[in-house]
Amino acid sequence: MSDILTVEDLDIAFSARQRHRFIRAVDGVGFRVAQGETFGVIGESGSGKSTLGRCIVCLVRPTSGRILHDGADPFLLNAAELRRHRRSFQIIFQDPNAALDPRMTILESVREPLDVAGIGSSDERRRRALAMLDRVALSLELANRYPHEISGGQKQRANIARALVLEPRLIVCDEVVAALDVSIQADMLNLFAELQREFSLTYVFISHDLRVVAHVSDRVAVMYFGKLVELGPAQALMAEPLHPYTQALLSAEPEPAPSHRRNRERIILKGEIPSPLAPPSGCRFHTRCPLAVAECAAREPEWREIAPGHFAACHFAGKSAAVPS
Amino acid sequence: MPADQAQLKQSKVAATSPAVQESLLAVRDLCVSFHDGADWFQVLKDVSLEVHPGETVGVVGESGCGKSLTALSILGLLPRRGCRRSGQILFEGRDLGQFGESEMRRVRGRRIGMIFQEPMSALDPVFTVGHQITETVRAHFRVSGREAHERAVAALTAVGIPSPRDCAGMYPMSLSGGMRQRVMIAMALVCEPRLLIADEPTTALDVTIQAQIVDLLQELSQRTGTALLFITHNLGLVAESCSRMLTMYAGQVVEDGPVDEILSRPLHPYTAGLLGSLPQQHHRKSKLPSIPGRVPSPQDMPTGCRFGPRCGYVEAACREPQPLLARGDRHVRCWRADALALPGAGA
Repeated sequence: MSDILTVEDLDIAFSARQRHRFIRAVDGVGFRVAQGETFGVIGESGSGKSTLGRCIVCLVRPTSGRILHDGADPFLLNAAELRRHRRSFQIIFQDPNAALDPRMTILESVREPLDVAGIGSSDERRRRALAMLDRVALSLELANRYPHEISGGQKQRANIARALVLEPRLIVCDEVVAALDVSIQADMLNLFAELQREFSLTYVFISHDLRVVAHVSDRVAVMYFGKLVELGPAQALMAEPLHPYTQALLSAEPEPAPSHRRNRERIILKGEIPSPLAPPSGCRFHTRCPLAVAECAAREPEWREIAPGHFAACHFAGKSAAVPS
Repeated sequence: MPADQAQLKQSKVAATSPAVQESLLAVRDLCVSFHDGADWFQVLKDVSLEVHPGETVGVVGESGCGKSLTALSILGLLPRRGCRRSGQILFEGRDLGQFGESEMRRVRGRRIGMIFQEPMSALDPVFTVGHQITETVRAHFRVSGREAHERAVAALTAVGIPSPRDCAGMYPMSLSGGMRQRVMIAMALVCEPRLLIADEPTTALDVTIQAQIVDLLQELSQRTGTALLFITHNLGLVAESCSRMLTMYAGQVVEDGPVDEILSRPLHPYTAGLLGSLPQQHHRKSKLPSIPGRVPSPQDMPTGCRFGPRCGYVEAACREPQPLLARGDRHVRCWRADALALPGAGA
């Protein structure tokens, strides 16, 4: 399989309000995503996962490093070419309300990308939008309603239809189920899986919810404070997390099981996520890490392949039996 | 027949009254209706729940099922106009429903504390954190400003805020989400309430911070003996922190009982549906069971079982309204509960 997306040593920095200070939202991130794969990205707020997602669809420019779509850098395209190119690389955002224009009906919203792209006749665009709405199980009756007249789950379906109508190849899903109730969340995850098979889509699935990411993804990357700390096959990462941060994330996720079936020790992390203006030295996780030693503050851990396809950036990953699982 | 009924009623009263004695909070048949300009429609129907001293009780359900409204009713925070309430809210043996606003003000914040979902909107941005906690103390105790400030600092210390004295002088905007929620907890606990109502206290927080806050709530409740009514949509949090739970659906309690029993063997199809729709580690990439349809709106509530239209086990008799049936120390609002063997958590 060829790589539809390559991220190479990507840095994205924003200038802070104070002069001469920068927030490095994404710091030296690199990975490849194969055609047809679901690549999961987990991280807490402020980890840079959304900035990464936006950069993948060319909404944010890299400060250094690059992203490649099918091996070519989209930022080298001119404006007209980029606009055309964008059709194949779509993004769906978290808040289904904010992404729909309150003054447009659902049908108009879904048709809009086709209008902008100038595809086919007006009739054909309408037909295609309706077909896509039907595919995401929104009835004709709902198509003529306004966003405030439908539920959150239905709005998110409309957003999916809107992203799909241009027949993209890759979709960045940024916290697409976070605002939805669990029963609707399940529906939505099933829909994403069906659409992937049907349209041979590639997903970059960004979420703070480990359970959701692990369910849908083939491979998962864990971000902390702008850096990748672990990357591996979803199953291996869930079963044998290598980085202490991944271990803490897994253990912090409350488990809906009766007490006699919960036999694990919870790792409660101390402290807060540090300020992005003053990132910690060495390993960025050392201020909250239960395993941290002096070396961690002094030296940044290398990105190492510990098992086939399973990488981590921790001095102790794969070395010590003392790592609690 | 009427004599029989009277007897039945009497025995029911006799059976429930000791429980009323020992429970800290007992909500009985709470109904709430709103007026939408044309008509009254009922949003809570016969909600009953009990919280014993020192106990943690979870309330779960999807958005719009009446969880938060139940909390607001207990606190007497329903809008005065266009709203009707019936039923009893017994707190420490007295019916809060009969309380006037001034009496309620002495209970709220003092005997019953509250924490809401979004700490930023619950804190006043133009006053320091210390000022806001001090204000709470002085509203309920006749103490000097200095004493109140000391209590505020002590409360901030108790919730694990590093350098609490500095924090007291800070404005909410300069605190992180987790810190703000700690401040909210400090403010809720500074008057040492007997009951704390926490409405989605960790929903706006990251999962590692959520673990810290839930841990803190449990530790504080154990240390002070404060009972906790924990409203959340997260079944995992209920499993890890509550001893008993209620499932609410469309304004009704559909199931209640000990958490472990409900999770191992749910009796109501809705509880089972909620548990089933959570992604499980060992079923990666498989199709998730989901609950079709959506919560009915109060304007067109089904006349029979309110979950009926979405239920996979529905039968003709489900068209009748469902009473809450007792099953040992559990209750369930489903006449088929005994016949259905529903899968529990992780099944």
